[in-house]
Amino acid sequence: MTLLGAGAACGGGGAQSGDVVFAMGTDTSGTLEDLVNKFNEQHKGDFQVRYRQMPSDTGQYFDQLRTELQAGASEIDVIGGDVIWPAQFAANGWIMDVSDRFPESERAKFLPAPVDSLVYEGAIYGVPWFTDAGMLYYRADLLEEAGYSAPPKTWAELEEMALKTAQDTGTQDGFVFQGADYEGGTVNGLEYIWTHGGDVLDGNQVIIESPESVAGLQTEHGLVERGVAPKAVSTYKEPETDPAFLGGRSVFARNWPYMYALAQDPETSNIKPEQIGIAPLPAGEGGQSYSGLGGWNMMINANTQKQEEAWEFVKFMTSEEGQRQRALAATLLPTRKALYQDQQILDEVPVIRLGKEAIQSTKSRPVSPYYSDMSLAMAEQFNLSLKGDVPPEEAVATLQEELTKIVEQAD
Amino acid sequence: MTTATTEKKRRGGVLREEFGNPERRTAYYMILPALLIILIVAFFPILQAINLSLRQSTIAAAGPFIGFENYVEMFQNPDFREGLSNTLIFTGVSVAMEFFIGLGIALAINRAFRGRGLVRAAVLVPWAFPTVISAVMWRLMFQDQVGIINYVANAIGLISQPILSDRTLLLIGCILVDVWKTTPFMALLLLAGLQTIPGDVYEAARVDGANVMQRFFRITLPLLKPTILVALLFRTLDSYRVFDLFWALSNRELQSLSTFVYEGVRISQLQFAQGNAASVFIFVTAFLLALFFIKVLGMQTSTEE
Repeated sequence: MTLLGAGAACGGGGAQSGDVVFAMGTDTSGTLEDLVNKFNEQHKGDFQVRYRQMPSDTGQYFDQLRTELQAGASEIDVIGGDVIWPAQFAANGWIMDVSDRFPESERAKFLPAPVDSLVYEGAIYGVPWFTDAGMLYYRADLLEEAGYSAPPKTWAELEEMALKTAQDTGTQDGFVFQGADYEGGTVNGLEYIWTHGGDVLDGNQVIIESPESVAGLQTEHGLVERGVAPKAVSTYKEPETDPAFLGGRSVFARNWPYMYALAQDPETSNIKPEQIGIAPLPAGEGGQSYSGLGGWNMMINANTQKQEEAWEFVKFMTSEEGQRQRALAATLLPTRKALYQDQQILDEVPVIRLGKEAIQSTKSRPVSPYYSDMSLAMAEQFNLSLKGDVPPEEAVATLQEELTKIVEQAD
Repeated sequence: MTTATTEKKRRGGVLREEFGNPERRTAYYMILPALLIILIVAFFPILQAINLSLRQSTIAAAGPFIGFENYVEMFQNPDFREGLSNTLIFTGVSVAMEFFIGLGIALAINRAFRGRGLVRAAVLVPWAFPTVISAVMWRLMFQDQVGIINYVANAIGLISQPILSDRTLLLIGCILVDVWKTTPFMALLLLAGLQTIPGDVYEAARVDGANVMQRFFRITLPLLKPTILVALLFRTLDSYRVFDLFWALSNRELQSLSTFVYEGVRISQLQFAQGNAASVFIFVTAFLLALFFIKVLGMQTSTEE
């Protein structure tokens, strides 16, 4: 309890009373501040927006927001937040319902998955800002050397190609991804389940216990069992994935779009961007390709005194122009469909051109006010199943029971 | 006068004796504010945690009173039981190893030799690292891509899987890192104790014909007992509350009692009450542990007799 008090006390920075306060994690590209300045320029004499920097660690940022919002004393008006947060905030009445301001006709201009992440019990609680998607990176040069001309379409193909290519070219590993017991492990596990036709929730019904989910987790574990992926992949997060692929030790990797930018820097990469191909994640037997959705939304504090000003700012940041600027300067993926036809973006940001398909087949993680708890349970079971400590059937059955308990408590 | 006082005390008139004397009364008034502050600062959070642990509490509201239900659920929670057993194994094994190795080091550097000061400073180096830093450092060495220990252990056939992917190996890793880090501290505490034993006691023993073993078991150990108890209590309570080492070294995977509390109170939306119950559990059991050291093992709590 003392921790909570301290957190809230720290929050009361010296805001000038007229300012709209905008919270967002650290932005290393500097483009965020440019945009805020531009907005302030346009609204001189009217009102100003102040950017309040939040922890760059998503978990810590969430924790701090939750503390401030539940105390009801937050100075924050506009929240830049992760796609897994809206339901958790909305269920507590902490963020504003913007259904009237953001009608269906407007929503249709955005990619569907980011919009879904903002819908809770029929209402929408924000505007998609930029997005993120799991993608299959492959070494185009190595595949060619092994006699393959196209990336794999199914997991079975990936397995075969990875094994042969690794052997033919003397590459250490076939495939690396994020299998550790953490949020990213949940996303990876879900991708295996989705691409095999399984899912977690149907409305409020937990449906994870299905042959499709079992098949998905079997594929994931099989990659380790048959030596396609290293055993240690069950401890990998993104920072372990980058050097494995960029260091030239793996033929394939599943990662987010940011890794492509790292390949352009010889200090972080032994391979060149020309050697890298990007494809949508493979599909399972009878399934289709899905990528875990990442990214950020703009939301408004339900208790703000400056609704109109806040909405004005949200509109500006999520506008085509605002998104284009950040796409070009910081390789952040836009959420507006039209920008995927924008020639300048396609030319200057190769990862958007290469990953277009993956970005458009994203799927949102289960939307629930208790997502944090669901993710803890899933991350653990997915990890145990990946390591072979628990058979996929058992992991899925355990999850069915645990998630049902969580969903029931939510009512 | 003295006999009269003891007489009164024996009859239970302590209160009257203490407050009847105006001088003493003033003294009590004067320390009252300090006592109140201690009560508020130290006991309010504890009482609040106990209160929340007995209710169906969430992060947003205290909720209705439900008795010991949270505790029952907590003991049924496999994560809690795993945390409890990990913590007990970790505490038992690491404190025992630290004690024996630390005692060995203390005995060794208790002798006078050249450069003793330097050696004493040098052994403290691991202890001077912040735990989180050393945990992250060791994690890198255990890691599969660049980790030297993982490489060597696999190469000589000691293990056949990546260290970080196995919970048992992770627990062993945590114990070894803790031993590496805190043995010097233990050694230093014991060394301080050793140096308070006067040399003439040994001389007298030698004159009486006591051999090395006899001198160690009949003189060193009994005279070192108070120090040993203090050192063991410190280390036991410290390891019992282990958090940062587990959290950073295992990347959140390995559960201890403290990480269970953190997950419940700070990450989960549903286990807030159980997290509170677990924090009360840690507090009460740690308190009992300290009592055990003081009452059963006869640790001295002050220098007065």
